[in-house]
Amino acid sequence: MDKNIILDFKNVTKRFPGVTALKEASIQIRRGEIHGICGENGAGKSTLMKILSGVYPYGTYEGEIFYNGEKLKLANRSIRQARDEGIAIVYQELTLVPDMTVGENVFLGKEPTEFGIINWNKLYSDTQRILEKYQLDVQPQAIIKNLGVGKMQMVEIAKALSENAQILILDEPTSALTDAEVDKLMEILETLKQHGVTCIYITHKLDEFFRITDNITVLRDGQVVTTKPTSDVTLEGLVKYMVGRELKERFPKGNRKPGEVIFEVEGLHAEDPDSAGKEVLRGINLDLRKGEILGIAGLMGSGRTELVMTLFGEYGKVTAGKVRLENEEINISSASNAISQGLSLVPEDRKGQGLVLGQSVLKNLSLPNLRFFSNMFQIDDNAELRASTEQAQNLAIKAPNLLIPCDSLSGGNQQKVVIAKWLMSNPKILFMDDPTRGVDVGAKFEIYKLMNELAERGVSIIMISSDLEEVLGMSDRVMVMHQGHSTQTLEASEATQEKVMALATGLA
Amino acid sequence: MSMFSELGRRIRQNIQTYTIILALVGIWLFFAVLTEGRYVNPQNISNLFRQMTVTSFLAIGMVLVIVTGNIDLSVGKAAGFVSVVVAYLQAYVWHAIFPGQALLAATLSILIGLAVGLVWGVLEGYVIAYLNIPAFIVTLGGLFIMRGGILIVTQGRTIPANQPYLKEIAQGYLPDLAGWVLAIIVVAILVFNMFRSRQKRRDYGFELSPFSIDLFGTLFFSALVIAYVYIVNQYNGVQAPVLLMAIAALIIAYMSNNTKFGRYAYAIGGNRDAARLSGINIRQNIFQIFLLMGLLCGVAGIVLASYVGYGTIAAGEGYELDAIAAAILGGTSPLGGVGTVFGALIGALIMTSLTTGLQILNVQPAWQYLLKGMVLVLAVYADVYFKKKS
Repeated sequence: MDKNIILDFKNVTKRFPGVTALKEASIQIRRGEIHGICGENGAGKSTLMKILSGVYPYGTYEGEIFYNGEKLKLANRSIRQARDEGIAIVYQELTLVPDMTVGENVFLGKEPTEFGIINWNKLYSDTQRILEKYQLDVQPQAIIKNLGVGKMQMVEIAKALSENAQILILDEPTSALTDAEVDKLMEILETLKQHGVTCIYITHKLDEFFRITDNITVLRDGQVVTTKPTSDVTLEGLVKYMVGRELKERFPKGNRKPGEVIFEVEGLHAEDPDSAGKEVLRGINLDLRKGEILGIAGLMGSGRTELVMTLFGEYGKVTAGKVRLENEEINISSASNAISQGLSLVPEDRKGQGLVLGQSVLKNLSLPNLRFFSNMFQIDDNAELRASTEQAQNLAIKAPNLLIPCDSLSGGNQQKVVIAKWLMSNPKILFMDDPTRGVDVGAKFEIYKLMNELAERGVSIIMISSDLEEVLGMSDRVMVMHQGHSTQTLEASEATQEKVMALATGLA
Repeated sequence: MSMFSELGRRIRQNIQTYTIILALVGIWLFFAVLTEGRYVNPQNISNLFRQMTVTSFLAIGMVLVIVTGNIDLSVGKAAGFVSVVVAYLQAYVWHAIFPGQALLAATLSILIGLAVGLVWGVLEGYVIAYLNIPAFIVTLGGLFIMRGGILIVTQGRTIPANQPYLKEIAQGYLPDLAGWVLAIIVVAILVFNMFRSRQKRRDYGFELSPFSIDLFGTLFFSALVIAYVYIVNQYNGVQAPVLLMAIAALIIAYMSNNTKFGRYAYAIGGNRDAARLSGINIRQNIFQIFLLMGLLCGVAGIVLASYVGYGTIAAGEGYELDAIAAAILGGTSPLGGVGTVFGALIGALIMTSLTTGLQILNVQPAWQYLLKGMVLVLAVYADVYFKKKS
């Protein structure tokens, strides 16, 4: 047994009904290194993490994991057990209680007690010690909600690290951080490394791998493509490993000819609904042609989602600007208002906003369309079933029947249900906010084809995506946002990753 | 597809409904054995169904309130308030204005009772839906307000409400023949509906479920109706309040399944954000739900006045808890999004069956409460447990 290997995955396979999320994955993590894991959505990264945190306990997967030379056997949902073993995980979403102090959060669930009473002095001095040890610049008594996202991230790390932490897993830690905060995080990781903490680093931002990691493992479709020292790979090489094929194949090019401008936004400003006076959208200009796919690119926090939610009437107050649909100025005050004007939205959070998960596919499909099947008094359930069945067939939604609840469908099929429910209302304009998030590669391709078909039929689409390649691959034009502004709209032919990134980061 | 495999599939799909029906049958058998059959004699069955009516009116409304993720703690006292208002009008007011006109008096009492319930629903609904105050708080306040209202109307006295016509609402019975005619009409509607729905499905080109299944279902429910009328006719006949309850339940059940209003309520409870982004006017829907709840409080209050024969300061005390318990027992999820009117009726029947059975066995009220509380928690636990298993 190699003493230098702290974590050794041997042929780990994890199957779900219909999908194999991990296929005989073998990865070796060396003691004290920072190991990057990259791959597209659905490549198996999060499955790997869930196995390490006990969400998928020992016995629900095939193969073995050796931790310090011993077999790792985690009980069901035992993040605590993992932590006691020295495996700490920081998730993408922050898991702090906003109204508690830093110290309370760090020791949440493991408060030092004497005869059942919390020893606050010990709690805060221990917190102080952890923070100092890893050079985290936060006050133990500070209230979480008063901190910035970057500091919250630090608290999250402090919380994950107990005194004996050996492995720290970071899942997309920088997705909500500013550049300065990212720099600070990198410093912290270096400090941790000096303390002998091994780090597994997962991110979508490929450049970060080159800044910080020692080795990189690439996953694709549940399989390990390669593990290499970071110094031996280039950015292009990494992308090639991840995608496994040339970019062109990923995105079916439709045969569409955008027509007249149908939708225009001019100088749009809008406020954050939760804090009046704070402008989130600060001057948006865009125009959309009939049958066009307009991509919106921008970093997290640039106001992309806020823009489509505002256009859909479900965000904060519009303080200035004009919106025109078919040359007529419109004023959209609510989702129902937007829908009646012919706008539709496939929201960012499929489960939280797109579907009523516990209800049947049928009821989800018909929900925004009941007016088509009902009079004042009743719903014609036969008409409802017929229209929904047709739509489900058109989109090839894979479900044994339409009466099963949506939560039993795969992510890709759930997303198709969300899209299908909006197609039934024959929209003029379809907003799609990250339509392929958490969807596997095959279903992604089907969604792309569907978008092409819709555009060919004359539906105009505004697509947001956190996947830059997707935006470039699917759009006729790309509008780039930076800090609430629309910067420039590029033709597909002239839009390159470099140009878009330069605009999105405010360099250009 | 054989009839039995199809039947099995349907039973699995509605396992919760069947579990609770089984529980009900179990409770009946249990008491039937312990009381040596007295529990299931026609008189007791007739009273049992009559007793569940007031709670049932509240429970079928409560289902929809809970389905949208809200709660209404004021329904018991609101119904109580309506009952004392009705009693007050009957005893002191109409008598002075239209002496001797009992039918007119009763009609006016009913209309005013319904109006009071409706106004209460409008008030609560407005505050909850449009002023954004949590239903728990608004209706808790409502409970106190209604309690005060009852004291104001009664001045601490007991007001008689046993005048002719009004009395018949909860204490009347249909003549035997009318009961049978009613049964025949219901069976005819069931059969007609079966054929009509099959024809419609055929027109739409859908696959029909086996005729034997549909026929079995229709015959089963027809048999239930006939058996019920047969049993209650052995005593005094079909009870007027039970008939009212059945009509109300059918209307509410139909609304919950087959109207936009009902569908939206379930969507709001299932996922508020998804419902809003689907263009549903959430405020309006919740307002309407409370309006309906208020109206049902009105109905319950009128039946309560007639049932008790008095308006008292204790009117409706604790009924909100019975209604909530009935809805939860009937499979309504306290988290919203799930629940049926039919389930709530069975839930109300279970609660009443327990009370009546324990009373016949001369169990002390203290123990009755203890047992009912345990049954409620146990039933929900069993449900959670079996769901996890399957």
